[in-house]
Amino acid sequence: MKKHSLWALAVIAIASFSQPSMAAGDSKKGKDVFAEECGDCHSAMPGKNKKGPGLFGVMGRKAGSVSDFSGYSDAMKQVEITWSADKVDAYIAQPRKVLPGGKMKYDGLDDAAARNDVIAYLSTLK
Amino acid sequence: MRAKSTGWRRVADNLHLRVVRKLLCVAALFGLSVSVAHAVPSYARQTGSDCVSCHVGGYGPQLTPYGMNFKLGGYTDTDGKGIKIPLSAMLVANWTRTAKNAPEGDQIEGFGANNNAAMQEASIFLAGRMTDNIGTFIQTTYSGVEKKWGLDQVDIRIARSLTLGDKESTIGVSLNNNPTLTDPFNTLAQWRFPYVASDFNAGFGPTPLIESLAGSVAGANAYALFDKNFYAELGFYGTLSPTGLNMINAGDAGKFKGVGTYGRLAYVKDMKRDNFNIGLVGFMANVQPDRNDLGTTNNYRDLGIDAAYQFLGNREHIFTVNASYMKEWQTLNYTYGSVAEADNLKNSLNQFRLAGSYHYNQTWGATAGIFDTRGSTDSLLYASSLNGRPNTSGYILQGDWTPWGKEDSWGAPFANVRLGVQYTGYNRFMGGSSYTDSDGNERRASDNNTVMLFLWTAI
Repeated sequence: MKKHSLWALAVIAIASFSQPSMAAGDSKKGKDVFAEECGDCHSAMPGKNKKGPGLFGVMGRKAGSVSDFSGYSDAMKQVEITWSADKVDAYIAQPRKVLPGGKMKYDGLDDAAARNDVIAYLSTLK
Repeated sequence: MRAKSTGWRRVADNLHLRVVRKLLCVAALFGLSVSVAHAVPSYARQTGSDCVSCHVGGYGPQLTPYGMNFKLGGYTDTDGKGIKIPLSAMLVANWTRTAKNAPEGDQIEGFGANNNAAMQEASIFLAGRMTDNIGTFIQTTYSGVEKKWGLDQVDIRIARSLTLGDKESTIGVSLNNNPTLTDPFNTLAQWRFPYVASDFNAGFGPTPLIESLAGSVAGANAYALFDKNFYAELGFYGTLSPTGLNMINAGDAGKFKGVGTYGRLAYVKDMKRDNFNIGLVGFMANVQPDRNDLGTTNNYRDLGIDAAYQFLGNREHIFTVNASYMKEWQTLNYTYGSVAEADNLKNSLNQFRLAGSYHYNQTWGATAGIFDTRGSTDSLLYASSLNGRPNTSGYILQGDWTPWGKEDSWGAPFANVRLGVQYTGYNRFMGGSSYTDSDGNERRASDNNTVMLFLWTAI
């Protein structure tokens, strides 16, 4: 019995570590979501800014840190965020709630699956 | 850009109809000044955006919601990478064939009766951000057909974003020279299909006053977009003096008594994947056609409704529909009462336009449109009509290829070109299936059917 309990604990532990914090998105669908929701203001090309900063390499990057983009709000420059999947997810779901005082004129993306897809796409931009 | 109604002007001029000059100079002739093509790469350089962000099909002028907001924001958005030179240039060249040679009276000096090739327009734009809140769209054009320069379009904006209540809003002021130039949608005269038209085309018949004033007036408009959805605009216009008109090579629409008043209300909804807008537009002015005989006016009241839908999706397959209907009530105190050159004191004009487009990969485009203008019977006013009506209707088909304009395009954002073919078919022209041409001969409406090949480029 004791042996079985140990095995069960081990399985649970492995499952806990291996399970991602968010369901994996589809980067191909995410590219379409990016085109519909983000592409007018953000570029996916290296080194290119639009009205918003370029998003190539955004995952793992500190917020407000694109050196040749001068359009950041004070709020974005001061926030201590490094863009991870869960941080991006929260931000694009409700930009104004996550970052009051931010400049991004975007109401947010309600569809959690679409957010996962676009995050999967952003993760390919490196 | 003075292309759309040139053919109609030729009809009028050559009939030597004073009445046409006195009244339809207002209703149609200055439709000459309606610009037909805009593509401003300096905005792309300023914003870092590709042409396809602002324009359906990767070429002006049909705006996406992003483009609409850029315009309402005063042309001031940037990519935050320093100062950009707000200059662009544009050239439109074409070859035009009509079903039957133009009557002698309609032929343009220096060109033949048919199969004409022309460098129709060459334009320079001062277009871009001047300060954080001030931007411009100013265009001057050399017409290779009329062989003269003109100040085409002026739109100087002061705009800012603010929060009203807890709603994100944009407010602004525009100083401009054309009542529909300021509109952010794709349905009113300045910005609707066809976006390019041949000077050798016969035109689309008489137009309401609101569409006939470009370049001959100066206006100040205040506008607001509240909560991203509700758009309102109010503007007041005055006519330029003869000296001012001569300086910029603009036509004389007469002198307003008081001011012309422009009003616009619209609801717009952007769902990102698709969007729509629906609105009302109105214009009213009392015009004194003869500056040497001031006092008696022709009064015009224009009221229109318009709607548009765009499916943008992931931008691979884009569909749009744009529709407008406008009615004009005319009280011709001068033309009827003073110079007896109209049968009726009161006339009306009804104009309907509809266009649908499909673009594939922001490169290949197909657009179909119909035009239908109807009006009161007035044999004196519409002397070229066999039944006294100005009714003109038909359809326009266009196919085009826009190879560049995308983010990863060759030469972006400097290299921009569109090649296309456009066909205009007439069901009725000035009344019915035939009318009296400028030589005094009967001519069928379908004789004006036109094929145009065009090259439209901008840097």
